[in-house]
Amino acid sequence: MIKPVSNIIEAKLRECLPESVFRELTNSYLEEPRGRHFGIEGLLLTPDNTNDVARIVRICSEHNIGIVPYGGGTGLVGGQIMPDGPKPVILSLERMNMVRDVWLSENIMIAEAGVILKDIQDLADSSERIFPLSLASEGSARIGGNLATNAGGVNVVRYGNTRDLCLGIEAVLPDGRIFNGLSRLRKDNTGYDLNNLFIGSEGTLGIITAASLKLFPKPKNEASAFFVVKDPRAAIELFSLCRDRLGTDLSAFELISCVGLQFLKEVGPDVILPFSYEPQWMVLLDVGCHQGTLSQEVLEVLFEDAYDRDLVMDGVISQSIQQRDDFWKVRESIPEANHRTGAISSSDLSVPIGMIPEFISRAEQRLSEIGEFRINCFGHVGDGNIHYNVFPLPGESRSDRDHDRKKVKKILYDIVSNMDGSFSAEHGIGRLKTNELSLYSDPTKLALMKSIKGALDPKGIMNPGVILKIE
Amino acid sequence: MKVIVPVKRVIDYNVKVRVKADGSGVDLTNVKMSMNPFDEIAVEEAIRLREAEKVTEVIAVSIGVKQNQETLRTALAMGADRAILVIASEDVHQDIEPLTVAKLLKEIATEEAANLVLCGKQAIDNDMNATGQMLSALLGWSQATFASELNIEAKNAVVTREVDGGLQSIKVSLPSVITVDLRLNQPRYASLPNIMKAKRKQLDEKVPSDYGVDLTARLSIINTREPETRKAGVKVASVDELLVKLKEEAGVI
Repeated sequence: MIKPVSNIIEAKLRECLPESVFRELTNSYLEEPRGRHFGIEGLLLTPDNTNDVARIVRICSEHNIGIVPYGGGTGLVGGQIMPDGPKPVILSLERMNMVRDVWLSENIMIAEAGVILKDIQDLADSSERIFPLSLASEGSARIGGNLATNAGGVNVVRYGNTRDLCLGIEAVLPDGRIFNGLSRLRKDNTGYDLNNLFIGSEGTLGIITAASLKLFPKPKNEASAFFVVKDPRAAIELFSLCRDRLGTDLSAFELISCVGLQFLKEVGPDVILPFSYEPQWMVLLDVGCHQGTLSQEVLEVLFEDAYDRDLVMDGVISQSIQQRDDFWKVRESIPEANHRTGAISSSDLSVPIGMIPEFISRAEQRLSEIGEFRINCFGHVGDGNIHYNVFPLPGESRSDRDHDRKKVKKILYDIVSNMDGSFSAEHGIGRLKTNELSLYSDPTKLALMKSIKGALDPKGIMNPGVILKIE
Repeated sequence: MKVIVPVKRVIDYNVKVRVKADGSGVDLTNVKMSMNPFDEIAVEEAIRLREAEKVTEVIAVSIGVKQNQETLRTALAMGADRAILVIASEDVHQDIEPLTVAKLLKEIATEEAANLVLCGKQAIDNDMNATGQMLSALLGWSQATFASELNIEAKNAVVTREVDGGLQSIKVSLPSVITVDLRLNQPRYASLPNIMKAKRKQLDEKVPSDYGVDLTARLSIINTREPETRKAGVKVASVDELLVKLKEEAGVI
């Protein structure tokens, strides 16, 4: 049974930890980006080294205190805040922000969990390398959180999820032991892959304190383009053409609907829209070539080819780095425009890539049966990942339509489930999707997950209520 | 009325500039090059004038290396009608100095019987801010610099200029050389169908001798160096300590 952190426990923690670990709790540790949930107060601890993390966890374990690990606070499924239950320890890794080692010749960086993703990208960039994980919240997200949630982002189509970018981790186990999996090995087949057990475990099996990250050579020249496509089916055919023509030079392939552009016009943020009109559907492509070939030319040839096949109707290519940044700003501002507009329901879904068009038309059909909505469907189509956000009509407020939320979710998740897709492609389960996990998962998978949780964290102190509900 | 728009190929605005070890200039090997952003604004303005039927033809001109073709293709894709490339160097590191560029542009403007030259106020690589003014003197045309608004009326151009402390409105008679500032417009993107069409647009290649212009440099670069790196700041405990530091270390009070 989890207990609240008391003054007595706090005194014990103070005995073995430096003063700097204790910081005043502010609301920012209790909020989540969607603004739907608010955490209960906890004891905020900010250790700056792995041994102190281990000390904290050991004491919490001895006294059955719940721990909420905290990175950059950008998670979208409430994994970083505990809305109810006994007062927890909020363990923020923000001060564990050292890059311990860089092995340039091996393309490896060893970073602590609290390093901000953007800082990792910039450091890699200064050595003509890239760390390809890239997502809208990269300026505040911390790598430990990215690993704990196995974050996706826009470059998955080329480089994979966070899981694929990591060679090993260091983690503090729920009993306070330290697991050192920090490896520089690209090959190591010695038993179970424990690193990957912790990656994506959302802080329920331990606290990731550092990771050995893969760097990649920086493409010599890069360019982005918006291609206007008739419909999602054309987008998928274009994707397959890209794969044939560009191979791994294709770094991103994002679908954007006219609703997203309308939101940007209505509520901002202020961006430069690529066309004088709002295309029903368009795709943002990113290409990075290594030697010889010019990305711009590659995109031009691709466009001509796709144009001849009637897949694309219009398009623009970035002519400068500034334009490329401006293109991406359009894509990256859509979540903020969604936020400002106020969704009834937002979902992070995936289906087999080839089934995306069918998913979109089926979802639209089924939703129209229960009411009128504005639908902003966009996302990482190259990964089969769609962000499907449903909004009230202009003039209505989100609270007017709150009653539709459950119905909308059920419709979408049922379709996805029928297509062998996922109701959470890249955001994780957190505390918001635990019901869906038990509803839509294979019972054997659930049983295995429970056994793992029971074996590693028998007291259930690690991020209570995340992924698996408290029983 | 024809309008000439000179476009320069420069190191991309967002590239971190590296100075060559021998101090002879900036390293441009394998560096992303783009159209000078001010020239992009000039191209956009010229196209808008043509769309408003104030001018009949937009001719983009670039002077430099063979690869300036790419820059001209961008101008053509944005909507310029045709382009002239004057190949004046084989080495991307060789900058053609403003007077030479102005002399070449003078010949081209005369040959084309143009009535207007719209150019960027300066190139972001060497920040000379000289070519437009020199060209106006060589042609004996009026000049209006730093334009943030432009209206062509019959035989005049009304230009709003960005000056220290505000805006100044002037009327100049055509023909004229007008140099454009950042806030004049937001340039359009080169659309892909237009990029395709641009490949079929006329791009004439010339050399300086076609215009009887001598390339011999009058300016020589003595040295190029990185700006001094900023030193890390220090924290002071009190206002008194700050005053002492400002007085004794910084010597500013």
